[in-house]
Amino acid sequence: MEMSANRLFLAKLDEAARWAQSSSVWPLTMGLACCAIEMMVIPAPQYDISRIGSEVFRSSPRQADLMIVSGRVSQKMAPIVRRLYDQMAEPKWVISMGACASSGGVFDNYAILQGVDQVIPVDVYVPGCPPTPDGLIYAINLIQQQIRTGGRGGILARA
Amino acid sequence: MGDRSRHTVSTAVDPTAVRPPIHDVDEIVRTTPGELRDVLQRLKAEGYAQLTDLGAADYLSREPRFDVVYHLTALPTRVADVAGVGRPKRARVLCGVDDGVPVPTVCDLWPNANWPEREVFDLFGISFSGHPDLRRIQMPADWEGYPLRKDYPLRGPARDRTPRPPFANKENVPSRVPPTGEVAELLRMEILERMRDTGSNEGES
Amino acid sequence: MSNLPDWISGAGNPPDIDPQAMVAAASPEVIARGDDEMVLSMGPQHPSTHGVLQVVLGIDGEEVTHAEPEIGYLHTGIEKSAENLFWNQALTVIDRMDYLGPITNDFAFCLAVEKLLGITDRIPRRAQQIRVLMSELTRITSHCIWLGTHAIDLGAISPFFYAVDLRENILDLIEAASGARMNPTYFRVGGINGDLPDGFLERLDELIAKFPGRMRDLRDLLQQNPIWTDREIGVGVISAEDAVAWGLTGPSLRASGIAYDLRKAYPYSTYDEYEFDVPTRTEGDSYARFLVRLDEMEESMRIIRQVRKKLEPGPVMVDDPSIALPPKPSIAVSMESLIHHFKLVSEGFRVPPGDVYAAVEGPRGEIGYYVVSNGDNRPWRVRTRPASFYNLQALKKIAAGNLIADVVVMIGSLDPVFGEVDR
Repeated sequence: MEMSANRLFLAKLDEAARWAQSSSVWPLTMGLACCAIEMMVIPAPQYDISRIGSEVFRSSPRQADLMIVSGRVSQKMAPIVRRLYDQMAEPKWVISMGACASSGGVFDNYAILQGVDQVIPVDVYVPGCPPTPDGLIYAINLIQQQIRTGGRGGILARA
Repeated sequence: MGDRSRHTVSTAVDPTAVRPPIHDVDEIVRTTPGELRDVLQRLKAEGYAQLTDLGAADYLSREPRFDVVYHLTALPTRVADVAGVGRPKRARVLCGVDDGVPVPTVCDLWPNANWPEREVFDLFGISFSGHPDLRRIQMPADWEGYPLRKDYPLRGPARDRTPRPPFANKENVPSRVPPTGEVAELLRMEILERMRDTGSNEGES
Repeated sequence: MSNLPDWISGAGNPPDIDPQAMVAAASPEVIARGDDEMVLSMGPQHPSTHGVLQVVLGIDGEEVTHAEPEIGYLHTGIEKSAENLFWNQALTVIDRMDYLGPITNDFAFCLAVEKLLGITDRIPRRAQQIRVLMSELTRITSHCIWLGTHAIDLGAISPFFYAVDLRENILDLIEAASGARMNPTYFRVGGINGDLPDGFLERLDELIAKFPGRMRDLRDLLQQNPIWTDREIGVGVISAEDAVAWGLTGPSLRASGIAYDLRKAYPYSTYDEYEFDVPTRTEGDSYARFLVRLDEMEESMRIIRQVRKKLEPGPVMVDDPSIALPPKPSIAVSMESLIHHFKLVSEGFRVPPGDVYAAVEGPRGEIGYYVVSNGDNRPWRVRTRPASFYNLQALKKIAAGNLIADVVVMIGSLDPVFGEVDR
């Protein structure tokens, strides 16, 4: 996008649409365990996620674009996570927050899915147990970058 | 030093029979399923108004195999201040039970026994006769097996048979796999170009 | 017999879940009687259920006739994991049970193992005092989150920001001491991991100075607010007798009139040296539970002030080489220290056989551990006495006859944490 001399923005519609989309990524409240607490404090003043447009946590999957799977996914919860993901409207993104959601974390046992990517596709993995809220905000920034640049390969998006 | 030797200790088959000099509860009673209700009714009449905890343990090679453990606390049942509460008595009742033998329920004595008995049934397979609603509580309703038994594998039976997959194997990670090779190079060039266009100084290598 | 259904490996879609069938299978007790009654599933994904809880409600219009909470959506197998880890390693998974008050879980487990080892009298005083300090700081952070989320459930958004601001200040302190904001796993069997860093006590003083103003803010926002009092007074009344019979402990029990606090009843770890009251109310409704928790935050700060004054210098780990790691700097210069460290980390220590029950006063009530050791370097059985499990079960008793909106108030005032309920 460039601004001309008479203060007109010239941009491709695609870029403008991606800019708007990336500035208002609304997360779904998929708070499962300890990571959910760190996710809950990001709208608070210390970390303030409203400056990047995501403070509106929607409870209904129909109204959300981003599912932040924060916490360990148990055997009973797995079909429900999948059902909620299916209920979200395209385009949708998924952040797997924390070690448990990314790979099972400390819990390598019968009860926990070894990574939520066994049931839904994930765009950004955030390590940590739990990750600090800064880490989650960085992950949302990476999602915004993915939206703006159009690339889906998370590790290729440079930061 | 006078402490109990930790260096030449052998593993005990029945740890509950070893009574180390610890004063954690005031009364310990060992009983069987047949006498369990009499014991618990007697203790409740003596003032143990709260069933603090109901759990179980699996002593694999011991006869009887399981222990259902009841912890009781003698709390007052009317409004009481700190002095009125004092130091409540605690009791532990251990009921040894074999695989397949049911244990009588205590839901009528203490209403909060409902969920813990369901949990013991779910995770150990010990059934409670007379329970109003005995079904799985922690595991999904169609789960097979009793996870906290000692002969149930930690990682679950299916995963225990298959070796741990290597990291980010294409076969077992159905999520989007980043492209490799030529496609990756092209995509990278395109992204860098777009970043240059938007004036972003990220991605400068 | 497979852990996961076939559709999860990516081939195909999950089977269609029939909500009516799921609800009917979940709660056979909740049956629709007549035409006026409906069965509604509240959860497991719901903004107001404080985590993954499904409450199956039988409702007649807005009024609840029957409520059956369904749990297990966060079952983590922590007890089984702990059986396969060394005694100190088990602390990492046990920390993640009550994740709002993580240190208190470790506290109870450490007390239990130390009883089995017979070293309870040899824990250094400084370690005990720091344990008390961390425990009370955690209690305040837990009540802050409880207050914030409970207020948001009822529509009051502002208290959340004030409460989280206070919590952030405390988490900075916990992070300075232990390295992690949440799930710090700061305690070890025999003491604590490392001493408080330089500057910690000055920052603690700043917090102590800031606290009364922040508490005043929180009280001003909610305590006399007519909307708050209308929604909370008289809702979810539990009598003292019912509270004891249903296994309630902690603030929920104290709000029903019984001043049972393990810090006073069975004092542990120098708690008998501090002066503090046990806030109690007799009404037993949600407003009483709210007031009790607010008062408890102030009592916790009172204890923290006393610990700050009485904190003694000294070691923070028991003087027993078979349990305690050698000081880290010595590993670089001493071969024996290196071998000692290696053996303890790779093999752990053995605990003599026996079974023990030890409990502490967590933010939600009595968190206890029934630990069985068969003499090995791993626990044989770690049975948790989960405070929230029993607190939440009382919902079955108190929900009937109220409105659906009141169920939200009741769940919030009972303050369940699902890491502990489901383990």
